Amino acid sequence: MMKKRILVATIAALAATGAQAADMNKVLRVAFNVPETGFDPAKVSDTYSGAILENVFDPLVTYDYLARPAKVIPNTTVALPTVSADGKVYTFKLKPGIYFAPDAAFKGQKRELTAADYAYSIKRHLDPTINSPWSFLVDGRFAGVDALVKAAGKGALNYDTQVEGIRVLDKYTLQLTLNEGNYNFLQILAMPAFGAVAREAIEAYASNTNAKPVGTGPYTLKEWKPGNKIILEANPNFRKLVINGQTLPKVGRVEVSIIEEEQPLWLAFVNQQLDISGIPQAALQEALVIDPKNPLNVKLQDKYAKQGIQLERKKDLEITYQFFNMQDPVVGGDAKEKIALRRAIAMAFPRNETIAAIRRGQAVPVHYVIPEGVAGHNPAFKGAVKYDPAAANALLDRFGYKVGADGLRTQPDGKPLSIEMATGTSGIDKQWNEYWQKAFDSLKIRLTFKYGKWNELNKANRQNKLQMWGLAWGADYPDGENFMQLLYGKNAGDANSANFKNAEYDRLFEASLQLPDGAERNKLYDAMNKIVVAQQPWIFGDTRIRSSLAHRYVKNFKLHPLLNTTWRYIDLQK
Amino acid sequence: MLAYILRRLWQMVPTLFGVMLLLFILFNWVGGDPSYILAGKSFSAETLANIRHQLGLDKSLPEQFLIFVQQVLTLDFGTSWSTQQPVADILGSRIGPSLTLALPMLLVSLLLSVIIAAIVAYVRGSLTDRLVTLICTLAMSVSALVYIIAGQYWLAHKLGWFPILGWSDSLATNLWLYVPLPLLLGLVVSLAPDIRFYRSCFVEEMNHDYVRTARAKGLSEQVIMLKHVMRNALIPVVTSLMMSLPYLFLGALLLERFFGIPGMGNEVLNAVDRSDFPVIKAITIYVALATMLFNLLADIVYKLIDPRVQLK
Repeated sequence: MMKKRILVATIAALAATGAQAADMNKVLRVAFNVPETGFDPAKVSDTYSGAILENVFDPLVTYDYLARPAKVIPNTTVALPTVSADGKVYTFKLKPGIYFAPDAAFKGQKRELTAADYAYSIKRHLDPTINSPWSFLVDGRFAGVDALVKAAGKGALNYDTQVEGIRVLDKYTLQLTLNEGNYNFLQILAMPAFGAVAREAIEAYASNTNAKPVGTGPYTLKEWKPGNKIILEANPNFRKLVINGQTLPKVGRVEVSIIEEEQPLWLAFVNQQLDISGIPQAALQEALVIDPKNPLNVKLQDKYAKQGIQLERKKDLEITYQFFNMQDPVVGGDAKEKIALRRAIAMAFPRNETIAAIRRGQAVPVHYVIPEGVAGHNPAFKGAVKYDPAAANALLDRFGYKVGADGLRTQPDGKPLSIEMATGTSGIDKQWNEYWQKAFDSLKIRLTFKYGKWNELNKANRQNKLQMWGLAWGADYPDGENFMQLLYGKNAGDANSANFKNAEYDRLFEASLQLPDGAERNKLYDAMNKIVVAQQPWIFGDTRIRSSLAHRYVKNFKLHPLLNTTWRYIDLQK
Repeated sequence: MLAYILRRLWQMVPTLFGVMLLLFILFNWVGGDPSYILAGKSFSAETLANIRHQLGLDKSLPEQFLIFVQQVLTLDFGTSWSTQQPVADILGSRIGPSLTLALPMLLVSLLLSVIIAAIVAYVRGSLTDRLVTLICTLAMSVSALVYIIAGQYWLAHKLGWFPILGWSDSLATNLWLYVPLPLLLGLVVSLAPDIRFYRSCFVEEMNHDYVRTARAKGLSEQVIMLKHVMRNALIPVVTSLMMSLPYLFLGALLLERFFGIPGMGNEVLNAVDRSDFPVIKAITIYVALATMLFNLLADIVYKLIDPRVQLK
């Protein structure tokens, strides 16, 4: 709260000097630790590309930079949309006078943003020739659009066909009609992937839309060296955006370096070659004083605090989990002995040790399918099993998993018991594997690892060939539905990696979709979590806590739970 | 000579075909399916089928191989599956930074290692020779990663003699600002094994009868070393040099990653990681071609160094 007040006060104080346009002499230098893939909102889904999209394109709505919990506010619209009584029809009124960044595709003309641009941009996610990684968020959602998609077959969508679900009422009015009411719809539309593109720009650069993003956002792509450097410059056509008296953006140029190794990333920040940076795992002890009794209690090391370096922390809106393939004959199924096996494995895994050793204490255990900070989370619900290898062994004994002559357990029917866990090949994967091996050894169960790249393991999982695998799910939008759907039966083989199918869970999930965020829906979520605890399709993992640093001269530095970047709000006063 | 060159060029065709076949089999066996990366975190079977269709992965393997053959014949590998950028543009933008670092590194390393190797071979058995051999052995036993991490930490961070990392569009800026530290560390890594190897070559030559005969004829040590020993010892040096030239195109992976150099090394790693077959194909084919061409060049240089060498 105090930080927020200081930030607002700072913004107000700066505002007293008068609103100003972006200063092209101010260069913000930041880094990604994973390479981006491109900048077409309908073609990329990685976080890092999304961070650039956020600055180049404008979705209809966005998040308030300062409000916590995250709050959707109008972005290019004059107000939040009007919504029909049945929650199906959303009508958006765009602000006139918003222009795309200058581009050759516009042939020297200033190009105004219209409702048709949003209609086109949303339809692109449904175009079979684009294969948008976000199509799952819009598929089957808009009235009458399915027929349009079906008519396209494997070809391009006919964008000129008017459909009931996505209608342009006039130049500035867009009406979206949903098949079913959806309480998360605005949050979905706030995602960078739903920023407006201009059809003529997309068509002009059809062969390489990833390299030619043209939007109405505060920045425009000046230079892109894939996997090495991304340079953004303030969009000269950017509308007058005044927040707390300040005209945004403040910084004229943003230089993003891709630095995949931890040491150069950290040293580049310390040596002021970067203005803002996350703290790599290897540098946590160097940067922070971590209270050994409570590792979440941290402060900057004195030498950095004295330099005026600012520390911001946020709990990711994510969960990690190890799933069991519920269709697998050894670890899956509803039978009591199968549940006991899954429960015993969960009880033998030293989660707190992995948080201390691998996460360096910078994570909290997951107890609920929905993480903290996401609507529907219940902090009082403790769903994770307690670490207790002795009780786990007793459980296995009780359900007939006998220890054979070779010192390893067999299945209750006497068949050998061997479990294969999918894993990557990185150094961090090896660390995790050591703990899993230790857990399985303590249970006297043979464990083997199936190594592979993420895409290969994903393929194997969709082909029902995996028994166990660890995954993470980050919030696409801050609503419990985005997490609870991970175990919805109809999503089995897709987002529901565990292939979990439980009629009661599905019934509750479908009922929850009819409710807004609130006590009534939370009751359903609690009931669903109880099913998850009882059936144990997952072993709950952890939620990571990120620490970010900024140098003294970086002003308005504040992390947002959902926005990947806040560059437009940042000022530099060296 | 011309007939020899033509014959060798002709022999490259089946070799290249073998490389293509091997690469194709390996990629289809263990390369990973890129459609699962492109589809995102939640997708339908139709989306997956569409992606596979667009990438040509739904075609039969012989058809896919034929497309590969066409690509090699035209040297047009299409666009990257992961970023959609033309492969030619990707490689074109990567090769410059890789060569800016690797070429000076190779030349300076060659020059220094040959000179030092010749000197210690000349004074073989002396304290200097033993000291250099000991230092080289110790230096070789340390991982390249240690040099890079320690060098960057001390020379750039602690002493501030160099920037931590960076790259510019200006060749001059790169050569005087960003290349020196990775170059220095690259030299530290490569010098020790090169000196050891070249020293052995020189010592072996100096033990031959013709050196004793030259001495008996009263030739000076300088003439013996530079005119006789050097010429013969250079043949393995040329072999080693020619063998390493194709790898210039692959860049120095670790140095590029640690010093933010947008070279080929990182591109190779990313392409493999993302199952980006067009990029992998292009890089493999170019490196295979370069290897064969530099091998041919090495044979020609043997002939120039020592006219007694017969090219058959």
